[in-house]
Amino acid sequence: MFFRKYGDIIVGLFYTALGGLTIYLAKQLPKSRVMKIGPDFMPMVIGTLIVVLALMLLFSALKNFKANAAKAEAMPADTSDYKRVLASLVLVVIYVNILAPVGFILSTLGYLFLQIVVLAPDDRRSAKNILLYAVIDVLFVFIVFFLFRYGFKIVLPAGMFTL
Amino acid sequence: MDALSQLGAAALRVCEPTSLLLMIAGVAVGIIFGSIPGLSASMAVALFLPLTFSMSSSLGMNVLVAVYIGGISGGLISAILLNMPGTASSIATTFDGYPMAQKGEAMRALGVGIVFSFLGSIFSFIILTFFAPWLADVALKFSFPDNFGICFFALTMVAILSAGNMVKGLLAGMLGLVFALVGLAPIDGTARFTFGIPEMRGGFNTLTTLIGIFAVADILVSAETIGGGVKTIPVKKVKGFGFSIAELFKWTPGAIRAALIGTGIGILPGIGGSTSGMLAYVTAKNMSKHPETFGQGDPEGIVATECANNATIGGALIPLLVLGIPGDGVTAMMLGGFLIHGLSAGPLLFVKNADVVYGIFAACMICALIMLIVEWTCIKAFVQVLKVPKHILLPLILVLCAVGAYATNNRIFDVQSIVVFGVIGYLYHKFRLPTTPFVLCFLIGRMTEEYLRRGLQRFKTFGAFFQRPIFCVFFGIAVAVILWSVYKEFKASRAEKKA
Repeated sequence: MFFRKYGDIIVGLFYTALGGLTIYLAKQLPKSRVMKIGPDFMPMVIGTLIVVLALMLLFSALKNFKANAAKAEAMPADTSDYKRVLASLVLVVIYVNILAPVGFILSTLGYLFLQIVVLAPDDRRSAKNILLYAVIDVLFVFIVFFLFRYGFKIVLPAGMFTL
Repeated sequence: MDALSQLGAAALRVCEPTSLLLMIAGVAVGIIFGSIPGLSASMAVALFLPLTFSMSSSLGMNVLVAVYIGGISGGLISAILLNMPGTASSIATTFDGYPMAQKGEAMRALGVGIVFSFLGSIFSFIILTFFAPWLADVALKFSFPDNFGICFFALTMVAILSAGNMVKGLLAGMLGLVFALVGLAPIDGTARFTFGIPEMRGGFNTLTTLIGIFAVADILVSAETIGGGVKTIPVKKVKGFGFSIAELFKWTPGAIRAALIGTGIGILPGIGGSTSGMLAYVTAKNMSKHPETFGQGDPEGIVATECANNATIGGALIPLLVLGIPGDGVTAMMLGGFLIHGLSAGPLLFVKNADVVYGIFAACMICALIMLIVEWTCIKAFVQVLKVPKHILLPLILVLCAVGAYATNNRIFDVQSIVVFGVIGYLYHKFRLPTTPFVLCFLIGRMTEEYLRRGLQRFKTFGAFFQRPIFCVFFGIAVAVILWSVYKEFKASRAEKKA
């Protein structure tokens, strides 16, 4: 509901800011000494276009706000499970940041298991299920590691655990 | 007739048991590399290069061709089943392939993709065999302004893609352009929008961006509803390839159009399979009587993309063989293969080593057939992936995405960037912004700027571009597309107001 009601206004505001920032950063770039258009030309054009389009979107969103809000009210309520989304996002962010220092095997063993548990429906979190997830986790991580390391000759981040 | 008899003789040589076995192995390895994101066709060719040292030059080149064809076509498997484009070429296959798989039509989607990959390849190889020298002459006439014209035309496709809510569609694309700006600027190498982060000087990698925006975002979107119960995706069994002869005939005009786009883009160095697939997809959507079904699981979307991206292979081989100009990473590797075997790609190759050239042509066609057979026999094995419950499958995909992103450049930065693009993809979904314009703009943005600036460097003023007929044609079409789209949007919004 929130996204349907205020979505376009937020998008408009975000893009206005993005366009403004692009123009500001483009102005900091050096002009070309050898030709008419330099590295600042394209960012300038894109930034200006973004601002114009974003203002158009904002204008139309504000103009039709009442009608759109009524439509949004009539929609069924948002039942999205944001807890699982947020937990997944936090896990992924942690995972990609510890991948290098901790190494592929350890970090993936941890991440994959936790991610499966987070995504598992409530009735699939019994002790038996959890054990199954742990087995899948270990098998998958080692298969991927050995396949890439010895099959494709790609060395994954070793971190503190080298093989 | 000369070409035909040479081709026949070459086909006989290619069909020798050793050669056939090696090509089957090459295609199979190519398919595996193609279907895993991060492992690209060029890596597979690089891996096979040393293995061809001990082979005769003709056999060696045939094996490399086998790997190349398998590598480009393998991308469709993961694109359809997992929404994870295995190669950048198969990006537009996800648009309709994945929704089809979600509806239980994974086998049909794979069947359509495989058959039209085959047909697209064969179409381009026929053109390659009979018109290569002539087409190479045409390709040489394309200069920077002309390439800029094509890129500009491709960018205006965003307007068509955004029909219905043009402003939002264009804005969605603009973010793609902003991300394409990151890194060293073309020509002068000025660092742009890198915020002092050294890894950002190289810009964002295409494949990691695509993996993030599709696969990672899909995981976040699925997390919203996954708690409701165990979800597995149904798989309906199909007979044959999953479509009727009547459907084949119905899709043929679209397939020919896509194959022409694919071959045409392939001939021009530096534009590549990902662009040709996207362009063919947008064109198919635009020409369709039911454009609203595109993106919802319309097999015609797969027909267009797969035909085009495979047709690009034959196209890309034309400048490579005739002029010795590699158009992309894979053909550059192939050029390396030529050098290793003491062959110099270029006009003389046709005179001095006609047997090798026609051997390659014959190998191309036979490898396409091998690809069809190998992938078709394995369809049932591929779809088993979908039997894994989503809450287990999605995390496994994410790990594969992370490994794939890492493998592209051996940089953790690429792995981190898939998360950034994953969040962008998720927010696009929440704010109902289309992701296709983002992808198209990201792919073409950098090229557009480079060709514009290189063109201006050579021709001094933009006005001089208009003296080039090829540029004028594409620029004219692009302007017409913009005006037509704005008119249609305006008309639609007035009709809506009246209603």
